[in-house]
Amino acid sequence: MIALHYAGSALSGTNLDVSGIDVKNNSVSIIIREEPPQLNSSRATDSISGMVLGHVMEGLVRMGLDDRLEGAVAKRWEVTPTHATFWLRKNAKWSDGKPVTAEDFVFAWQTALKPETASQYAFLLFAIKNAEAVNSGELNPSELGVNAPDPHTLVIELARPVPFFDKMLVFPTFLPIREDFYNATQGRYGADADQLLYNGPFQISRWIHGSSMTFERNPHFWNQDEIHLDTIHVPYITSDANASLNFFKDSKIATTGLQAENLTEAMRLGWQIRQHRDGVVFFMEFNHRPERVTGNLNFRRALQLVLDMDELVYKVTKLPGYEPGVSLFPGWLMGESDLLRKEYPPEKIRPNTAQAKEYLQRALQELGLSQTPTLVLLAGDNPISNIQSEWVQQTLKTELGIDVKIDKQIFKQRLAKMTSGDFDFVLAGWGPDYNDPLTFGDLFASWNKNNRGQYNSPELDGLIQTAQGQLDPGVRMRAFGDIQQHLIDRAVILPMYERGVTYVVDPRLKQLKRRVIGPDPDLSRAHIDAGGQ
Amino acid sequence: MSATDLTQADFAALPRQHSADQLSRPSLSYWADAWRRLRANPRAMSSLGLILALLAFVTVGPMVWTVDPSVQDVDHIGISPGADRQVTLTTPFIPWEPEALTPPTPSTGNPLGFTLAQSATTQSVRLTWADQDSPRRLYRNLFAPEDTGSFGLPLADLDTPYFEDRLDLQPETYYYTLVALDAAGEESETTATLTIDVTRVISIAQAQERGLIQPDESAEIGQTLKLAWHPLGTDYLGRDMLARLMYGGQVSLFIGLLAPLAFVFLGVIYGSVAGFLGGPVDQAMMRFADFVVALPFLLFMILFKVVFGIGPGESGILPMLAAMIILLWPAPARLVRGQILQIREEAYVSASKLLGATTPYVVGRHMLPNTLGVILVTITFQVPSAIFTEAFLSFIGMGVAPPTPSWGAMCNEGIKSMLTRPHELLFPAMMISATVLAFNLLGDGLRDALDARMRGAE
Repeated sequence: MIALHYAGSALSGTNLDVSGIDVKNNSVSIIIREEPPQLNSSRATDSISGMVLGHVMEGLVRMGLDDRLEGAVAKRWEVTPTHATFWLRKNAKWSDGKPVTAEDFVFAWQTALKPETASQYAFLLFAIKNAEAVNSGELNPSELGVNAPDPHTLVIELARPVPFFDKMLVFPTFLPIREDFYNATQGRYGADADQLLYNGPFQISRWIHGSSMTFERNPHFWNQDEIHLDTIHVPYITSDANASLNFFKDSKIATTGLQAENLTEAMRLGWQIRQHRDGVVFFMEFNHRPERVTGNLNFRRALQLVLDMDELVYKVTKLPGYEPGVSLFPGWLMGESDLLRKEYPPEKIRPNTAQAKEYLQRALQELGLSQTPTLVLLAGDNPISNIQSEWVQQTLKTELGIDVKIDKQIFKQRLAKMTSGDFDFVLAGWGPDYNDPLTFGDLFASWNKNNRGQYNSPELDGLIQTAQGQLDPGVRMRAFGDIQQHLIDRAVILPMYERGVTYVVDPRLKQLKRRVIGPDPDLSRAHIDAGGQ
Repeated sequence: MSATDLTQADFAALPRQHSADQLSRPSLSYWADAWRRLRANPRAMSSLGLILALLAFVTVGPMVWTVDPSVQDVDHIGISPGADRQVTLTTPFIPWEPEALTPPTPSTGNPLGFTLAQSATTQSVRLTWADQDSPRRLYRNLFAPEDTGSFGLPLADLDTPYFEDRLDLQPETYYYTLVALDAAGEESETTATLTIDVTRVISIAQAQERGLIQPDESAEIGQTLKLAWHPLGTDYLGRDMLARLMYGGQVSLFIGLLAPLAFVFLGVIYGSVAGFLGGPVDQAMMRFADFVVALPFLLFMILFKVVFGIGPGESGILPMLAAMIILLWPAPARLVRGQILQIREEAYVSASKLLGATTPYVVGRHMLPNTLGVILVTITFQVPSAIFTEAFLSFIGMGVAPPTPSWGAMCNEGIKSMLTRPHELLFPAMMISATVLAFNLLGDGLRDALDARMRGAE
């Protein structure tokens, strides 16, 4: 059955012959790297599912074109330390014409927390009362602190004060699911185009697995004025950057990413190159387990003083849009009233080999070692991390005489080795889950499962608790500033860079939105300007 | 002459003659004849010369070209052979602190006041412009911008009136364009473009580190020097290609020569024993060989890596050698067994046995020498395939560990920048091709030369 279906899809997939921008049909074509594994919002984890769901579903709130939070299904809302209340608009409808009600949110969140759903992002809901207990199976889902007193009011009881609760709701896990439809799909919810009920600006009209997708305008969507495109095609699903570039050259797709080696050609062709920082911060994470040399502060400081991330970014990696790392907190995070990094500028460490050698001597004395140990650098197996790890290897050899062995692993294996602590230092990255500095700030809390180097400092834990629990933005932001300073002072990590993306867009396509939080790219508000050539 | 002329003396036995017929030419042994025929084959001889040259390149080469193959020069990444090496001495790089800077005032010709703050070098390009409320977007282009909308590579969106560009600066001409953004963050029509020639610079400390000037040598700012010479350019981390080719060849040829020698030796012993004993023993031995042929090489390579305890980041050369020896011997073994089976039935072997020759004598005197030609040819043909195997395994990342180079690993790295910096792929690929071709042609020549049936033929 499955094999048959596949053979058929490959055929029809090649038949989807559309151009990048079709002015007559008011349609746009884009490419996606991989097919979404499934589109059940309570279980979605990857960015591609997030992108697709951002076009076909709508949550309580959304990120506007100006990167500010705006109401979507919710008309207005209110967050207090104990409660969050959302008033839903009455004209929001599902793609079968029935209204979107507060019950749909209650059901979706209960589903996400059910142990059998096994949602990886269930922890995002832990701010809600009883959520943790529901997730561990101790309480019935109906005891979750979310209620719908009437179809258009949603009241959420909070387990602890969460000042940024409304900002978290942008994440796909918080999208509504209608109970009767969900049950009718018999466990296949989100697996196919007809197994999903839509309440967003578009609906999936065709989904040929592994081959192509088509989104068509949802006639029941409440906010038709903001939607301009009739159709969005995904004629190809490939992660091959060169194939994507060639499709763009042939006008088969409206936008493509650029690799460093294509930049000269893009400049020669006079393309409008654009840039976007995707919000991911890369850093070198040390293994802080006591049996490792990297658990020694002076040893880490020695490494901190010889690895010049400016050199790495500007001369070795050489990718445009990359910003040399100075802090765990990326530059785009907002602080109290301005950017966090402007309110609390991080101290920039200048390379200093002489001082590094002193630290190294001190570290060796403390560790009782007569000679420098060989370190294991865990890294991903891709061209960029190969270059970076070889640069680290050679820099540490020439500057400090430290031998480094490079352990190249694929993502899953690297994660497994990080979890088991089988490394001295690792090239790691972290992307934000919600638009608050805490998404980065609690990373090295002793209780955080993603703290794979097992850094454990009561001082840092205290700061993180302040940032989590306090409501006053000023106090919170000061805590983040202190966390940032702590990470630098104790050389917990060495920030390497913030990643950038370089891309081109067909000049006729306007308002294609690239984002850090929320669907990326977002074409839902885009329009075609035929004269924009 | 009549019969009566015969005397008794005519019937006396002749003295025992000890010398055979006197040959007027030196005796031509099998090997001398083969060598003579090989020498007459220009293809084989030039291949032999090439192989000797390659061996000299990887063994004597590093003594002559004493550049460390793992030293990275981040100022000199991916340069092609024969690139310009002119460099000017300058002060060490200090991050720009333009807080005290007075932004330029706009003029009619330059409404944005876009100016170059200091002379542009490969350390940094420092740009400044008039301070205004709305943000600016800065672009850099390698080509003169023609129409609006394509100014090249966007560097940053800025609300400060200055920017320091340090991204991969090469001694070239750049076109920097400053675009004013409107309140909505969209680009406006107000733009300004600067054409900037970047000069290559190096600080005195860096020059000393790279051995361009001696520590006690007096050096002045502004003095021009020549950067280190890289006859074949550098790779993606600024390492000398020539030195890496030499050291990489050591690994490739080590595997390429040692592995075939070892497994052909193993195969010869196994095959001759099987062939000589014959019967059920031969059957059993050859079925075991068939079994070994069926084992998947790559899987065993990975298993050996584990068994040998080769941790991450360690060289996989030893398990590679072991895997090749343990898995590749059946081919020569089959070949030798076939030969031995054939020779065993030859008349001269039967004659030798009838005359009372012992088994070791028959094997050593008659059988093995007659298979030596086949064995030699097998070795020469196995060398290129072993080099290829090493190259392939290093290419997929199972061979040498960085920073040790090998030709295969270098190809793997070079292929990523094939379009922009082809020399990084071309040189190691050429080395592999030349070695493989030379061994193949030599093997061809040897096969002809050692063929006993062609003995004496021109």
